[in-house]
Amino acid sequence: MTFDALRILEGRSWMRECRPRLSRSQMEAEGGCGVVGLAASVALPGRHILEPLMQMHNRGNGKGGGIAAVGLEPVQMRVPREVLEDHYLVQVAYLDPSFRRELEAEFIDDRYEVHTRYQVEESEDPLVLAALPVRPPQVWRYFCRARPERLDAFIVERGLQGLDRRRAEDEFVYQTSFAINHQYYVRKDMRAFVMSHGRNMIIMKVVGYAEDVIHFYRLEEVTAHVWIGHQRYPTKGKVWHPGGAHPFMGLDEGLVHNGDFANYHSVNEYLMQKNVVPLFLTDTEVSVLLFDLLNRTYGYPLEYIIEALAPTTERDFYNLPEEKKPVYQAIQRTHVHASPDGPWFFIIARNCFYEDRYQLIGITDTSMLRPQVFALVEGEVQIGLIASEKQAIDAALRSISHDHPSVPRQADAYWNARGGSHTDGGAFIFSLSKKGGGMELECTNKFSIPIHLELGYDRSEDLVLAEPLAPNGCDRSVEGRADEVFQRFLSTLPTIDATAFQKAAALQRLLCATVARARRSEADLREMLRFLTQILDRHYSSGGLRRSRINDKAMEAVNLILRSVPRTPGNGMRFCLVDRDDRSSIPIGIGEGGVLVVDCRGFPMEGPEGPSFAICDAYEKGWRHVVLLDAHGQRFFGCGLGPGSQGMKIEVFGTPGDYLASGLSGAEVEVHGNAQDQLGQIMAAGKLIVHGDVGQTFMYGAKGGEAYVLGNAAGRPLINAVGTPRVVINGTCLDYLAESFMAGDPLNGGGFVILNGITFDAQGGVVDLSIPYPGGNLFSLASGGAIYIRDPKRMLTEDQLNGGRFGRMTDSDWETILPYLRENERLFGISVEDCLLRVGGRALPPRKVYRKIHVSSARSAGEDSLDDEI
Amino acid sequence: MSDDHLVCVPETTWVPSEKLKFINRYVVERKDTCISCGLCETLCPYGVHRRMEGHVKILPPYHRLCIGPSCASNDFYCVSHCPTSSLSVRNSETFSALGDVRWTTDMILATWQMAETGESLPLDHPGNVGSSGGGFDRLNFKRGPVPDTIDYSEFDMVIDLDRRGGERRRISIPVYGGGMSYGSVSLHTMVARAKACRAWGTYTCTGEGGYPKELIPYRENVVTQIATGLFGVREETIKRAPMVEFKYAQGAKPGLGGHLLGDKNTPLVAKMREAVPNTSLFSPFPFHSVYSVEDHKKHLDWIASINPKALLSVKVSTPNDVEMVAIGSYYAGAHIVHLDGGYGGTGAAPEIAKKNIAMPIEYAIPKVHRFLSDEGVRENVTLIASGGIRTALDVAKAIALGADGVVIGTAELVALGCVRCGNCESGRGCPRGIASTDPVLYLQLDTDWGAQRIINLLSAWRKQWCHLLASLGMSGISELRGRTDLLRYVGGKEVFS
Repeated sequence: MTFDALRILEGRSWMRECRPRLSRSQMEAEGGCGVVGLAASVALPGRHILEPLMQMHNRGNGKGGGIAAVGLEPVQMRVPREVLEDHYLVQVAYLDPSFRRELEAEFIDDRYEVHTRYQVEESEDPLVLAALPVRPPQVWRYFCRARPERLDAFIVERGLQGLDRRRAEDEFVYQTSFAINHQYYVRKDMRAFVMSHGRNMIIMKVVGYAEDVIHFYRLEEVTAHVWIGHQRYPTKGKVWHPGGAHPFMGLDEGLVHNGDFANYHSVNEYLMQKNVVPLFLTDTEVSVLLFDLLNRTYGYPLEYIIEALAPTTERDFYNLPEEKKPVYQAIQRTHVHASPDGPWFFIIARNCFYEDRYQLIGITDTSMLRPQVFALVEGEVQIGLIASEKQAIDAALRSISHDHPSVPRQADAYWNARGGSHTDGGAFIFSLSKKGGGMELECTNKFSIPIHLELGYDRSEDLVLAEPLAPNGCDRSVEGRADEVFQRFLSTLPTIDATAFQKAAALQRLLCATVARARRSEADLREMLRFLTQILDRHYSSGGLRRSRINDKAMEAVNLILRSVPRTPGNGMRFCLVDRDDRSSIPIGIGEGGVLVVDCRGFPMEGPEGPSFAICDAYEKGWRHVVLLDAHGQRFFGCGLGPGSQGMKIEVFGTPGDYLASGLSGAEVEVHGNAQDQLGQIMAAGKLIVHGDVGQTFMYGAKGGEAYVLGNAAGRPLINAVGTPRVVINGTCLDYLAESFMAGDPLNGGGFVILNGITFDAQGGVVDLSIPYPGGNLFSLASGGAIYIRDPKRMLTEDQLNGGRFGRMTDSDWETILPYLRENERLFGISVEDCLLRVGGRALPPRKVYRKIHVSSARSAGEDSLDDEI
Repeated sequence: MSDDHLVCVPETTWVPSEKLKFINRYVVERKDTCISCGLCETLCPYGVHRRMEGHVKILPPYHRLCIGPSCASNDFYCVSHCPTSSLSVRNSETFSALGDVRWTTDMILATWQMAETGESLPLDHPGNVGSSGGGFDRLNFKRGPVPDTIDYSEFDMVIDLDRRGGERRRISIPVYGGGMSYGSVSLHTMVARAKACRAWGTYTCTGEGGYPKELIPYRENVVTQIATGLFGVREETIKRAPMVEFKYAQGAKPGLGGHLLGDKNTPLVAKMREAVPNTSLFSPFPFHSVYSVEDHKKHLDWIASINPKALLSVKVSTPNDVEMVAIGSYYAGAHIVHLDGGYGGTGAAPEIAKKNIAMPIEYAIPKVHRFLSDEGVRENVTLIASGGIRTALDVAKAIALGADGVVIGTAELVALGCVRCGNCESGRGCPRGIASTDPVLYLQLDTDWGAQRIINLLSAWRKQWCHLLASLGMSGISELRGRTDLLRYVGGKEVFS
C-alpha cells in the first residue's frame, strides 16, 4: 500500500476527544474463557459450533457468550449474493429499542444507502428466554454502502485523497461505527452499539452462555464457512450488558480471546497515541484494534502482524533465516510496546475482502501460557479447527459428522503451536479460497508454509466406512487371540488386492464380526477389546484407508461392545456397565477380573455428579478395573483415590479432560488417545500411560511414579517436580521441560525424564524429529534429576540448557534407564534395539545415541566436560 | 467443633519464661557510694526504691516502676536529691534495641506478658498499637468506658467459616493460624501452634513445605496449603485436611514465590519436600497451571474432587483490583477469601518487597467488603484478613473494616519468644529455635510450653475483645463486622509516641 498510514491516523484525531473518562475500577475485569473456531470448505450451520461450546460450559460462567460467522448464505441473509459480498453488514444492537429511529436518522440513513434492513429474528421459546439472565438486545441488520456524497466529503475532511476509494469507504464505516458507539454506548448510557460492520460476516453476543446466542438469535440453521465462539468468564459478578462480551470487531474480522494482558494500559496508551480509541474497556477490544491497526492501516502482511503481537525471542530469533532477522528486529523495535504481555490466545475469523478469501487464525503468546489445540480434517469436506480443549474439537466433529458422513469423528491431525518460535511461529491460519464451484481450505503456519497431510486414501471407500457398524456377521479372521487378530489385520491392510471399495467393505465386515464375537462370551470380549485397543493405539500403515477413520470405527466398535455389557454382574460375566442415571447405585465389586464400565456420555464435566466420583465410588466398592467409555472432556479422572491405590487400573477411551491422574498415588491410568492439560500434577506413585499427546504442565510438582507418553507434551512438563518421577516422552515438548527439577540423583533412586525425539511416518515407522527438543529452555534452574535425551546427531546445544550441563552417558546411566525403555517398548511397540539405538540404519551404542543433562554442580568421576561426540 | 461458644475457652496457666528476661524501659543505677540514707525511698512516689523492714540496706532499684529521666522536672526526682550522687537514671539500651515501628518494644513486651499470664492488658495500653504512623496505628475505636465487671462467658466470639450452605465450620475465636512451612519454622513451633489451636477450637496451617507426621494427631485443626511449588502436597495431605488453602500470593512478597535458602534446607527439610538438600528451594511466582480465572476454578474443582468436604480458602495478596480477585475466587467456589496485606512476612521475605508492593490491608478489607456486599454475595463468603495483624485491637479493627476474621503468624511467634531480629532466613535460622531447622536450636522450645504461651495470648486477646465489645455495647464479635462508623482516624504525627 502506497498511501501514507499516518494520514489515516491523522484523520482520526477527532476520536481522541471521545476517550471514555472512567476510573480504573470501571474497567471490565476480564477473566479467562473457552474459545473455539472452525473453518470448513462447506458452509456449516450454527448448531455445529453449539456442541463444542456446550462442552466448554465450564470455561465460562454465563456472563457473556458470543459467536462470529464469516462467509454467509445470501438467501438466509435475505439479500442477493452481490450485495452480501459487497455491502457492509452493519448490525446495531438496541438495548433500548426506542432509540432506533433516532440512531437510524442520525447515522444510518444519513450516511449510508441501505439496500436491505431487518430485525434479526429472535426466539420466543420460553426455555431459551428463561436461560438468559438479561434479555439480549434487539439487533437490526443494515446492508449498506456509504452515500457517495458523504464519502466524498469524508475523504476531503479526513485528508484521505489518494487513498483507494474502497479503502476510504472502509475507514468511513469504521469511523461511523465508532461515532455510533461513542454517542449511544459511552454517552447515552449503553443504549445501543454496533455489534459488527464487516462484509459478509456477523458477530452476535449476549449476556449468558455462548449457546444462548445461537438459540436466542436462531442461528442454529444459519450457515457460514467460518465460525468462532466464545464462553466468557468475567470475574465481575453483575454483568448486564453484552457490549463487553466477545467477539470484538475490527473491520472485516471478529476476535475472541482467552487470557489476560499484564500490559493492558500500555497497549491502550500505544493505541491512543495512534488515535485509536477503545470504548469498551476490555483487553479483547484492544487486541482487535491493534490487529486492525497493523492490518488495515499499516498494511502489514499477516506474518508481520503476528510477529508484532507475539515476537520471536531468544534462541528462536537466532534460528530464524537470516533474511527475516532484520525485518523482525525492526518490527520488534517498533511494536514491542504494543505487544500484549502475559497469557493470551486469539482466534480470529475474518473476511479478506481484497483477496477474496476467508480466514480462521489462531495465535498463541510467546510463552504459550494458554491452552490451545489445532486440528485439521482433510477430504471431501475440509475443516480446520482451533479450541482451548481437544474435546471441543471432537465435539464439533461429532456434530458435523452427522450431516457430513465423510467427516470422521476424529481429526486427521491434532497439534499445538509453539509460541513465538522459528519453527511454526506460534500461529496457524486456515484460509478458504474459491475453487471450482466451492471452497478450498489451506492450512499454513505463520511463515506461510503449508501444512499438508499425506492421507492417501480413497474417498469412496471412506464413505463406505461411514456406515454405522452392525453387530453381526462372522469373519474367520477375528478368531483367535487378540495379538494374532491384530497381526492379521495389519498384514491384510496394505495388501488386500481388491478395489478400494472392497477393502473398506472388508474392514467394515471385520469390525462387525469383532463386535459380534465380543458378544459371545467374556473371554471373547476381552480379546476383542484388546484387539481394538491395538488398532487405536498402534502406529501402522493404514494401507490406503484413512487412519482417522480406522480409529473412529474402532472407537465405535469399542462403544458398541462395552455399551452392551450387562448392568449387573453375574452369569459368569465380570463386566458391568453404569451410566449417569445409575451412577449412584454402583454395585459391589466382584473382585479379581471384575471390570466396571462407566459410560461418560451424559456425565457432567466435574462436580459431585462427575465421573471422577464414580471412579472413587467404584474403587471403594472393591472394583479394581474401571473403564471410562466415550469420555468427552470430563475432568479429574483418577483423582481422589487416595494413597496406596496400587492394584487399581483406570482405562480411558475418548478424550479425557484436564487434571487426569493428578494426585495419583499408586493406581495405573491408561489413556487410549490424546490427553489434555494438567495431567499427573503432584503424582506420587503409580503409572500413567498415554497413547498420544499430553497438554500443558504435565506432571507439575510430581513426586514420583512412572509415566509413558507416546507423543508430545505441550509447555512446562515436569516443572517443579521432585522425588522420583520416571518419565518417558517419545516425542518432544514445546518448551520449559523440567524447569526447577529437583528429583535427586538419578543414579541413586532419583527421578529423570527420557526424551526420545521421535515420531511416526505414514507407514508406522519410527522417524527422528528434525530436532529432538526445539525450545530454548531445557532443565532450567534444576537442582536434581536428569534428562536423558536421544540426540544422536548432537543437535542440542549448551545455550538451550540455562543452568544444566551435558554430562557423560555412562553404563550405569544406561542400566538405569533401560528398564523404562523396555516398558516403553512393551507399551508402545517402540523397539530399543531396532528403533531407538538404530540411527541411519546403523546400530549405535547407547552413549552415542543418548545424552545426559544434569545439574551443573554434578560431575562424575573422570569426566572432562562434554558427552561423547559422534 | 462445638456450637457452644464457651466450650473452647481453654484454661490459662502462668507460663514463665526462663530465657526472656523482662526488659525495662529505663535503667536506674545505684553506685557503691550509697550510704542507705533512705531519702530516695521517701521521695519516690512510684516505689522504685524500697527498703525491707528491719534492713539497713536499700533494695536494688525496681526499674520497672521508674518513669525515666523526664522525672527531672519533678521536685521528688531522686537523682538530684541524692546526697552522695550515687543515683542515675537512663534509657535502657536493650529496650531501645528491641522492636521497630510496627512491632514496638511495648508491643513485644505486652505480647510476652500476655503469653506468660493469659491476663489481658487495658485497651489503652501502649502495647496495643504500633507507631508506624499509618494503618491500624492511626485507627481507634469510638467507644465508651469499659464496665468494671465483665462476665467473659456472655460474649460470643464464634465465627462460621462455611457460608456456602455446607456443614457448619465454626471456630471459637475469629482467628486462625497462617501458613508457615516446615523449614521456615521448626517442627516444635508447628506442633506448639497445632496444640494451641486444638485447645482453642481453631485452625493452624502447614504452609507449603509438606505435612509433617507429627501434626497428624491434630489433623482436625490443621489446614494444609497448596502453594505454587506444590512441595509436599499429596493426595493424603489434601484428604486429611478440614480446609485447603491455595496460596496464590503472599502479601509480604507478591509476585515472588516462597523461597527457602540452601542453609535452611537441611536433609530433613529436603526429605519432607522430596527435594535435594542444601539447595535453595524457590516456588514459582504463579501456579503454572493457573493463568486465568477459569483455570482457577478448575484448580479448586480439582481439590474438591480429591476432598469434597474440605473448605477451600484462596489466599491472595492485595493488588489494585483485589476486589475482582475476591469475587472471581468466590465464583470459582472458594469458601474463604483470604486477603494478605503487605505488612506480614518473616525475615525471609525480601526487604524490598515487604511493605512496598501490596496494598495496605486496611484499604483492601473495606474495598473488598463493600464490593462483595454490592454484588450481593457478601453473606455467602468468609472474608479473612492477614498480613501484619499483631494485637487483639488489630483483629477488632480488621473486623470493623469488614473482615469476618483474621489469620495471624508473627504474633504467635512473638508469644513463643521471638524478638523480631529478622534473621529468619540466614544461616541455620533463628537463634531462639523458632524459625530454625537445626535441632540444636529448636529443641530449646518445648511444645507444651509453647502451646500454653499461645493459648494464653489468645485468652488475653479474647478478654480484650470482651472489653471492647462491652465498651461498644455489643455482645458478639460478628456485630462489629463492617462497622467502620465506629472507627476514628487519629490524626497528628506524634499521637502514639
